[in-house]
Amino acid sequence: MVGDPIADYLPTFIRFLLLAAAVIGISIGVHYVLRKVFHVRREVAIGYSLITPWILGFLTFSAVPLVSTFALSFTDYNLQQTPSLVGVKNYDTLINKDVNFWPSIRLTILYSVISVPISVFFSLMLALLLSKKLRFIGVYRVLYYLPSIVPAVAVVLLWRWIFNPDVGLLNTALSPIFNLTGQSPPDWFGDENWVLPAFIIMSFWTALGNNMVILLGSRKGVATDLYEAASIDGANTFTKFLKITVPMMTPAIFFLIVVEFASAMQLFTPAAFARATPAAGRFMNLLIYTYGFQQSRMGYATALAVILFLLILAATIILFRSQARWVYYEGQEK
Amino acid sequence: MSTTVTQTTASPERVPWSPLRVRQLIGKVAIYTFVTALGVVFLVPLFWLFASSLKEGSRIFDQPVEWFPANPQWRNYPDAWTALPFTRFLLNTLFVTLVPLVAEVFASALVAYGFARFAFPGRNLLFMVMISTMFLPDAVKLIPTFLIWKQFNLIDNYDPLVLGSLLGGTPLFIFLMRQFFSSVPREIEEAAIIDGANVFQTFTRVMLPLIRPALLSVSIIGFQGHWNDFLGPLIYLNSQAKYTLTVGMYFFTGGTNERPHWEWLMAMSTLMVLPILILFIFFQRYFIEGLTSGGVKG
Repeated sequence: MVGDPIADYLPTFIRFLLLAAAVIGISIGVHYVLRKVFHVRREVAIGYSLITPWILGFLTFSAVPLVSTFALSFTDYNLQQTPSLVGVKNYDTLINKDVNFWPSIRLTILYSVISVPISVFFSLMLALLLSKKLRFIGVYRVLYYLPSIVPAVAVVLLWRWIFNPDVGLLNTALSPIFNLTGQSPPDWFGDENWVLPAFIIMSFWTALGNNMVILLGSRKGVATDLYEAASIDGANTFTKFLKITVPMMTPAIFFLIVVEFASAMQLFTPAAFARATPAAGRFMNLLIYTYGFQQSRMGYATALAVILFLLILAATIILFRSQARWVYYEGQEK
Repeated sequence: MSTTVTQTTASPERVPWSPLRVRQLIGKVAIYTFVTALGVVFLVPLFWLFASSLKEGSRIFDQPVEWFPANPQWRNYPDAWTALPFTRFLLNTLFVTLVPLVAEVFASALVAYGFARFAFPGRNLLFMVMISTMFLPDAVKLIPTFLIWKQFNLIDNYDPLVLGSLLGGTPLFIFLMRQFFSSVPREIEEAAIIDGANVFQTFTRVMLPLIRPALLSVSIIGFQGHWNDFLGPLIYLNSQAKYTLTVGMYFFTGGTNERPHWEWLMAMSTLMVLPILILFIFFQRYFIEGLTSGGVKG
């Protein structure tokens, strides 16, 4: 055995137990103080005391980091000296001088904007197809879902190989087409023009099953009586699909797009493992890692993180604003 | 919820070859052909992964692809396993997966119970805040969180990957479990309280067993998350002996050696898939329930 596992785990485990005791202690303390000092009702005191762990976690791991990210982004900080305030220099350098910045923005946004609608659209089609009463439906569901349980690490290693320009599975399968048209097969991760399509194909393979399962769940939630009423009114299958099925599924579609978009913008593991040519740009999260943890430019990296955050926030706000136009919630007039 | 939608096309006549029946039959055949073909396309990469893990290194790029290696090289597995200290990596991964998993599921359940059952001032506002943190990108918290752990001198320890789980767990888990708690009839708790149980006893003995499906679903989501986590271990762990499987794999692929052993990488990838696959085979229902209950009612 390399190293001494027990010596590595034990201190952490002891601190884990101490922290657990502390969290329980604070929760009970909250209850005690609320009851004895502020004389609040028992139910109220218990409620606050139960959510105390979350409040502690929220402050430590959400509120404080969020504020510090903004603060740090205006500083120079290399982990050795104390951070020094430099105003908007980081942002200025990023936007105006950094050759990695715009390619990174371009790649990240294009990837998210293209891959998410594609995978949601095809997941929807597949979910509708599989929601028909077919035999062996469970088998197909498992079949499509399987790729999404494969760890991202394994997925990328696998696809790096599938995308191999000379001996990869994809170019081998496509070779008749290239022979016919006389084109040379693409070098996927090795060619800056093909990096984006390569990432999109790879994400499609992983995300399809996952999204399909979510949409299938929402498809099953559509109440049967709606279809019966529509049939009585003489609606045909296609009308029912357009006017009932799709509108009733829009909350799930909306949810998927919001979540998938945010996670696509933050793509990291595949970006790191793919070792795609840097000429195509690096995904923003990978660039943050490179600046912050490989080059120890923490202030500069947080400025980039703030920009990524603002982009995701803007997209989320736009999506939520668009909700009124196309997302249908039950009990709401249309 | 298993309300399947009844097909409302006119019930097929018993006449063997009515045009309607023929059309339905053709439609069915088309659908089956399509979903099967797509399924094969989806599975080929996985099968290829496994087949390649059994080939000789020198023959791995041979064309045409050998789908069933005539001479399976099972020793690729032990060879790859011992090329780097993977036994240690596995232990490390189990440590940073199981310890936080137990803590975060339990903590999330407590918080969810608080949100579901106790009316306190500001509850809805706090719940909204909690939901909105689900949408807060990890990227924006990454560096300050790293600096917090650095303040405590805990870099290159497992603490950053383990301790956070004690503080209220994960918003998604709280959200899912609150939904389950809300659907439990209040009479059950009242009966427990009449029997003299305190809040904690009611919670552990009565409520937790009632939401077992939700506990399983979030445990599976959590297990996958920790098992596959790469960025966390990558930034917090520096000494090789402390690496998790994902980080070990990362350095396995990009090591200093001139040409990576693809057959080893494929073998290790297959092994990484295995635990999740086994979980999936046994708990398929909970994988899918966790996903759907999160998405649909949201």
